[in-house]
Amino acid sequence: MRRPDLPDAAVDGAARFTASGVFGQASAVRVLRGVPQANLTRLDPIRATATITRTHAYLVYDTLLGLHSLFHPLPQMAQGWPIEDDGKVNTFTLRDGLRFHNGEKVTARDVGAPIQRWLARNGFGQEVAKRHAAHVVAVDDRHLRLTLQKPFALPMKANGKANALPCFVMPDSVAGTDTRTQITSELGSRPYRFVREGWSAGLRLVCARFDGYVPRREPTDGTAGAKLAKAGRMERHIIPDRATAGAALQSGQVEFSEIPLHDLLPVLRRNCNIELVVRDRTDSVGMLRFNHLVASFDNRALRRALMLTVDEENFLLAVVGDDRGMYATSHSFRSRSRPMQTKEGSEPLRVKSLDRARAALREAGYAGQRVVQITASDFPGLAGLSQVTADLLHRLDPTLEFVATDWGTVVQQRAWREPIELGGWNIFHKIWSGPAWVEPNSTPAMRANGTEALVRRADEQAHGGPARAMV
Amino acid sequence: MLAYVVRRILATIPVMLVVAFVVFSMLMLAPGDPAAVIAGDQATPQDVERIRQALGLDRPFFVQFADFLWRLLHLDLGTSIFTNLPVTHMIAQRIEPTLALMVLTIVLAVSVAVPLGVVAAWKAGSWIDRGVMLFAVFGFSVPVFVVGYLLAYFFALEWELLPVQGYTPLSEGFLPFLENLILPAIALGTVYIALIARITRASMLEVLAQDYIRTAKAKGLGTLPILFLHGLKNAAVPISTVVGIGIALLIGGAVVTESVFAIPGLGRLTVDAILRRDYPVIQGVVLLFSFVYVLINLLIDLLYTLFDPRIRY
Repeated sequence: MRRPDLPDAAVDGAARFTASGVFGQASAVRVLRGVPQANLTRLDPIRATATITRTHAYLVYDTLLGLHSLFHPLPQMAQGWPIEDDGKVNTFTLRDGLRFHNGEKVTARDVGAPIQRWLARNGFGQEVAKRHAAHVVAVDDRHLRLTLQKPFALPMKANGKANALPCFVMPDSVAGTDTRTQITSELGSRPYRFVREGWSAGLRLVCARFDGYVPRREPTDGTAGAKLAKAGRMERHIIPDRATAGAALQSGQVEFSEIPLHDLLPVLRRNCNIELVVRDRTDSVGMLRFNHLVASFDNRALRRALMLTVDEENFLLAVVGDDRGMYATSHSFRSRSRPMQTKEGSEPLRVKSLDRARAALREAGYAGQRVVQITASDFPGLAGLSQVTADLLHRLDPTLEFVATDWGTVVQQRAWREPIELGGWNIFHKIWSGPAWVEPNSTPAMRANGTEALVRRADEQAHGGPARAMV
Repeated sequence: MLAYVVRRILATIPVMLVVAFVVFSMLMLAPGDPAAVIAGDQATPQDVERIRQALGLDRPFFVQFADFLWRLLHLDLGTSIFTNLPVTHMIAQRIEPTLALMVLTIVLAVSVAVPLGVVAAWKAGSWIDRGVMLFAVFGFSVPVFVVGYLLAYFFALEWELLPVQGYTPLSEGFLPFLENLILPAIALGTVYIALIARITRASMLEVLAQDYIRTAKAKGLGTLPILFLHGLKNAAVPISTVVGIGIALLIGGAVVTESVFAIPGLGRLTVDAILRRDYPVIQGVVLLFSFVYVLINLLIDLLYTLFDPRIRY
């Protein structure tokens, strides 16, 4: 818990889904200075899935709906929405006092246009649009109607989602930008406005409090409820080196730092002016991904054989270190302590036997084919996970080719569909923010939409993958 | 002399053309696709292809290179793929800290290393000489980032004398400007000091063994005039060569130093751009660095004629 005299997050609610951070002591904070978890390179929240883009967007852009901490949708810009015609017609009424940072009133057209853009771009939104022929129209300045061809229980959850590509509201003229083109205006309606002249790409982001914002009366909960701007100005200084960010916090040059280096946590804890706060209770989730399209892991039995070796704790230790308060094993595809957490299907993950894995590999027909693992060495977490996997593979005796490059290269490599002989890959790791694993609909990694599925998870479609869950 | 200067300046044009071609080719041949990075995790191959087309990355290599050169002739370095800002604007935003860091480092290094090297040569074989050479070995052996972290730990965290990170522009006062740069300059300058001190010592040893130095001593000239007027001037050619070559060392070191001390300079811009495959930014910064390097070596060449009038080209 933070001290009462420490600066609160600049805006409650917006930061709920960010990861852990540390806060230094500061008195009468009018300018809140901190270090974000990464460099903000893309400002268009519908074009980038990066956490930093999303966090930034939650400061600047409001949403029609929010999700409370148990992930139920609640009205945010909306005042409410009567459901008619068996759920096929939903009419949203906008609450009073909504204004953009230039002082203009937010109208239903302004809310409808970003929804159209979002429906075209977001996976969940695409499904809603495709399967339910979603149609959004502004009835008048205050009323917006969402019409579906058939009843569907989840459009509110889709619209209020807080992970990759939430539906942020921006003026009609900006939201009309093609989804393949980045927007060029940062005009939003949340408590903070983006100060473009203070922005220096890769160095500093500046937001100033928007005094025209009228917060909701309900308490802040998740991304729902009141958004209370407690600092007049917020400066986020991009410090790529996490050790330097930690030193800046210790020396009082900044008041908060997101995602501190795990190695530094003991040092930071010893400093009585610094408090460690876990902001994201949904956890981050590490993922080991097989390429299902090419040999050898197009063979399900082989994938299952490798699962027999997995000891979650070893992977977590490689990322977090031995600070037991900072990690937990769950053997669940869903974030722990969440309603949809289940251990079902995770039995192979609890075996942890190299001998059984070797036998299973032989039974699956593995005969020493080359295995290519790709990883990014510029992300310490990914590098840690990858090294544990590489060690497991070495101990199982496959012929492993460990290709460590940078994230930019990995992103390109993993899109490659060719077999190993032509430069393909078998395994890579990724770390997701927790909200992506709260439920199947919001989990891009589990969407089984054929060859368009994220990072080559195609064959599950034939077996009824989680994409069916939203129908 | 004028003809020589003009000839040398003209010779930089083909050098820069070759640099432009090499930089462009390397980026095109390197793995990593900015379109894939831009498209993000949820993109389909069709999305990536559309972005590649929009960025013009699907065009033939030489078409892209010709387009790049044409824009270069108009001093247009293009627009960042990620920020949509002109590359010249991004470079302009970042050039002051890097320039300030490099100038301060050079001034610091030369003013420390040259006297150290001279004294080491003068007292060759003594404990002073051994101490200077020990420092030189340390300077060469310890990476810049280790020196940086050590300096930050002691001077910023333990003794709270200097800030641990950041940059204050010169326009906001000389003292704050210097406070932010002194630790990075020492960190970056350590290897440079080592290099210059060693070369100065070696060069001075050779000069101090010359007959005219013995004559100067016989005339009763003082130690300082002998060392710095007669000795150093004649030892200056290899020293100035190393100072020039060392600029490349500084450019490489600046990338690391700027990351360690969070200085908003061109080094960090380069690293960020490389990690994101922001081709126009990488090309712009590398070309600028190359141009600076070529320019400084040109100046060094011209300085030779001042140090030693016998040198003619």
